[in-house]
Amino acid sequence: MSDELRNRLQSIDPMAPGVPTESVTSESSRRLLEETMAIEVGAQASDAARTGRGRWYLAVAAALALVFGGFAVFSGGGKPTGQPLELALGSSNAMASCIQFSVEILKDMPVAFEATAVDVSDGKVTLDVDHWFSGGDAESVTLNATVGSPALIGSVDFVEGEQYLITATNGTVNACGFSGPATPELRSAFEEAFPAS
Amino acid sequence: MARRERFEAVVGETYDPLQRYLRRRASPPDAEDALAEILLTMWRRLDEMPRDNPLPWCYGVGRLTLANQRRGAGRRAKLMNRLAMERPMSEPEPASDQELEAALADLSEDDQELLRLWAWEQLEPREIAVALSVTPNAVSLRLGRARKRLESELRRKNHPRAGQEEAYGRKEPQ
Repeated sequence: MSDELRNRLQSIDPMAPGVPTESVTSESSRRLLEETMAIEVGAQASDAARTGRGRWYLAVAAALALVFGGFAVFSGGGKPTGQPLELALGSSNAMASCIQFSVEILKDMPVAFEATAVDVSDGKVTLDVDHWFSGGDAESVTLNATVGSPALIGSVDFVEGEQYLITATNGTVNACGFSGPATPELRSAFEEAFPAS
Repeated sequence: MARRERFEAVVGETYDPLQRYLRRRASPPDAEDALAEILLTMWRRLDEMPRDNPLPWCYGVGRLTLANQRRGAGRRAKLMNRLAMERPMSEPEPASDQELEAALADLSEDDQELLRLWAWEQLEPREIAVALSVTPNAVSLRLGRARKRLESELRRKNHPRAGQEEAYGRKEPQ
């Protein structure tokens, strides 16, 4: 029965309750917690204390040209190679209006991935891809901003170490809630839209 | 301060199970790094954390943190200057039920993780759903299938000819 199976699985737990862990009151644990709580949170929160870098706001224009090793991702000519993917932040042809977010629309996105911002500086965001839902296998994606991008529909505030869910269609990153910080709600929607990924 | 107090209270409740969660899935140095990173996320996202039963949510943070670690070696060192713990945690005890360990290892990684969360973290489907960011119904279905596959693997190992037709969910040989 399942309880029997559960009990049997517990017998091979390498960290069963008897195995000791670091006490939360130990000197090293206390230091770790104090260092963590020393990080400022709130509107101006940043990892500056740890990384020496400030936060940088990058508005993602609706129009992005996706270039994959010199080939357009959507041309059908680019085979997944795992090579870094470069996304140029375009400045024109922004979507005129937002489509209401739905999982049904999300399902049709040819490019969808979850990634962590590892470097945010000088108009460039480097993301390490954590998971491809659709349309690629690059391990790294770079967003190059174009100064003065007009007609911003949605914006994403990139912070190093934070995770983002991003979709794109026809070389255009979708704003309007189809790209943004990887909240549990958005991730759940992606997982529902791309169940086989 | 209220924020500090709440964080301390949550950490008091989750520090031990989080360490166990990490050590079941990562080497000691990676587990230490991940723990520091998870604590930072918990601190920064304290307001998003469920007040009732925050542990599955914390496991969800742990899942993503470990996924990040596996993605890029050395990246975590760039992201944060962790404070190294001064004394290493003890080594996990070797498993005694080798047949079960082998059967578990033959399942897909998704099946293994569901079974670990169920048996080792002792989570119920609705809690596993929080940790994996999927619906409870999906967890119940997948967990049921994972249990059947594990049982099938165990039968197959005991009687190599039996259970063969049920072994469709097994991991392909590398």
